[in-house]
Amino acid sequence: MTAKSKLATCVVLLIALGVGLATYKTRLLGVPFWKGEDVHEWQIEAKVSFFASKPDVHAELALPNVADPKQIGGSGPVGYQYFVEDRQGQSTAVWSAKDRKGPQSLYLWVRVDDDEAGNVGPVASQEAEPDMEFLTGTSAVAAKAVIERVTAKSSDPDALVVAIFSEINAPEPSQEITLLKRRYDKEYRESGSVMLGIQLIKMAGFPARVAHALWLREVRGVQDPLLMVEYHDGYYWKIRDPADPRKIPDPELVHVWNRGGGPLLEVTGGDNSKVVFSVSRERIPQSQLTDLQDSPLWVSTILGLPQAERAVFRYLVLIPLGAFVVVLLRNLVGLPTLGTFMPVLIALALLEIPLVRGLVMFSVLVAVGLWFRFLLSRLNLLVVPRVAACVVIVTLLMILMSVISYRLGFSGVVQITLFPMIILAWTIERMSIIWEEEGKHNALVQVGGSLVVSVAAFLFMSIGQIQYWAFYFPELLLVMLAGILLMGRYTGYRLTELVRFKNFEPADK
Amino acid sequence: MSDTQHKWWHRWLRTPAELREMGVVGINMRNARYLLPNNPRSLYRLVDDKLQTKALAEQHGLEIPQTYGVIRTPRHIARIDELLSGYESFVIKPTRGSGGKGVLVIDGRKDGHYLKPSGAVVTREELRHHATNILAGLFSLGGNRDAALVEYRVRPAELMTRISYQGAPDIRVVMLHGYPVMAMLRAATRESDGRANLHQGALGIGIDLKTGITTRAVHHGRTVTRHPDTDLNLIGIQLPGWDRIMEMAVICQEMTGLGYLGADLMVDQQQGPMMIEVNARPGLAIQMANGVGLMKRLEPVLKRHAQYPNEGMKEKLAFSRTKLSK
Repeated sequence: MTAKSKLATCVVLLIALGVGLATYKTRLLGVPFWKGEDVHEWQIEAKVSFFASKPDVHAELALPNVADPKQIGGSGPVGYQYFVEDRQGQSTAVWSAKDRKGPQSLYLWVRVDDDEAGNVGPVASQEAEPDMEFLTGTSAVAAKAVIERVTAKSSDPDALVVAIFSEINAPEPSQEITLLKRRYDKEYRESGSVMLGIQLIKMAGFPARVAHALWLREVRGVQDPLLMVEYHDGYYWKIRDPADPRKIPDPELVHVWNRGGGPLLEVTGGDNSKVVFSVSRERIPQSQLTDLQDSPLWVSTILGLPQAERAVFRYLVLIPLGAFVVVLLRNLVGLPTLGTFMPVLIALALLEIPLVRGLVMFSVLVAVGLWFRFLLSRLNLLVVPRVAACVVIVTLLMILMSVISYRLGFSGVVQITLFPMIILAWTIERMSIIWEEEGKHNALVQVGGSLVVSVAAFLFMSIGQIQYWAFYFPELLLVMLAGILLMGRYTGYRLTELVRFKNFEPADK
Repeated sequence: MSDTQHKWWHRWLRTPAELREMGVVGINMRNARYLLPNNPRSLYRLVDDKLQTKALAEQHGLEIPQTYGVIRTPRHIARIDELLSGYESFVIKPTRGSGGKGVLVIDGRKDGHYLKPSGAVVTREELRHHATNILAGLFSLGGNRDAALVEYRVRPAELMTRISYQGAPDIRVVMLHGYPVMAMLRAATRESDGRANLHQGALGIGIDLKTGITTRAVHHGRTVTRHPDTDLNLIGIQLPGWDRIMEMAVICQEMTGLGYLGADLMVDQQQGPMMIEVNARPGLAIQMANGVGLMKRLEPVLKRHAQYPNEGMKEKLAFSRTKLSK
């Protein structure tokens, strides 16, 4: 077989495999091929994990109230019995199994639309019987003193709640609070402050209880449940974030998982139980997602993973796209770049920061870094320490830029830590060598080329449809791979060569 | 040719069809058609390390600049003055450098310091630092640790010094399967600061393979006839020792086994042509200097090689000098 026919075979196989799988998914499983309109649904996945200490295990997870039971689905490893139990309006997921050993992971997903998700607002309710549990001894005296102090200042329940948590959160709390906190931290550990606050609200004469919530935010990794305080002001049950009591929680940002003061998770027969959440905008309907997850490994691919693990791939699948753009612009267009895949890393960083700010940041960092690099060159340092010094300087510059832009009123600059700093330092180093060896013109051309490639890669990676395909149809990456292989055999002229040879004058005229 | 007349777009570009008709080879084609199939990866180390190339060249009876010493460790750097004490002029270069990066030419001494050909002073401290940078791999491919080579500084023949503005001109011969296909002389200008890199403003002067006489010259891609700094006529100059230069180029191919390569040579006043280095990825500017697309020379060689795979040096040279001469 010649190299050419080998390549042709590879390309045909890759395209057939990629297109075939994608067709199977769209035609037979009904996964939409086009991204469609913006979705207004959140997919929330809860992951319950514990260590089975006895053979018989039983886990219960309180669930949010949803309109349709189809919005909830759970799974456990083989051998687990799973069902949803309705307990006077409060649904609870129940798992139980026998003969368990070692670490266990149970998953449960809930799909809610934006309206259902924004449930943090007040709920009207008649019942308002403060259930009191009484403190004794010095704690009781201290608590009374605090309540007297805050009720003297606040006229209504909302103000009271704010005042109580402000006291608890104060950087230098009063003696009474310090004493009470010590006791509650011992009893409730991390949730000590919240439980103390709830106790104080109750003693001031208003019913209060704990609620569990989560952030409606697509982040990499998982989030711990957020402890909220729920209190009754005579007409409504209201929710506030004890960490930020002055702010009324934003329904677009916070979803209350369960109200009513019941426990979130109860595990018998296991130790170290824990529940974490991951939240994402899922673009394909639940029934198709379930079908996909039940499909063989090579069909479901990353969609067969739990949501928390899947989230990482939202970014990972973009890297090949960036590499594709680099190949395109280097081998077909002929743009010079500093380092082959440095532009991909810059493009990934740009995905997290607004484009213009990212470019300004890059330019400033490289320019100032270069200036420092020339200062350093007077010290006659060895290469590795010099690059390390550059890394330190780049880091310090980032700190400086963050501080200055914060003072100037821009927020969110802190995200620049995602800028690949080592790459930046090497860029500066290489650029300074090219500057000295080949002149500033070449250095600027190469840095400019890198930036153009980065921005092109960024623009390509941020097309919604492209992201959708990469994530929901990762097999299409095989088609792109075929494209890269083909470009690897492109022997025609690069676009820049048409310009480079524009003055070519044949001698035989 | 049909496209002799000037088209409006020639101010900005040439169409791919025009370039193909002129036989211009682009980077992608060079790599895919000539370089990758003919240069096995394993042979690269022979030319990427100048010490190995020089050892090979010596075995094959090629004239090379005498090696004064090799600096491998910081201890050697500390004793660099001792090493250099006997030499008035010399060249320090990384053994694994490419594209002339990190080459420092010293042409004399003054007050215990060193002088570049341009007369600029290099302090002993700066010289040591340069050697340290070379050792740390600053100029080498991939940034790996490297050694510094100190060798004889070629004294260009008088004729050559006139062509070049400070800095010795070198001769590049591109070879395919041992057939010289194209040659050019690279001469420094004031703008290129003693360097022979065309994209830094050095002159590329095309050479007729048969006679060794310069045929045309380009500066920044444009045809010129006179040196921009010295106003010397660049066309029609007979290079000294051309027969030997062509022989040496063929030997460079024989000793390395690389199918496609560029042999870099210089002509010394007393010792005649000397091999400086072998480049496994020669660039494309040579076609501009000669006004001939490389394809027009490479394709006949491919055909010839397929037909007579075992030709000796004599036949190869005869073929190149008759069939591949303008």
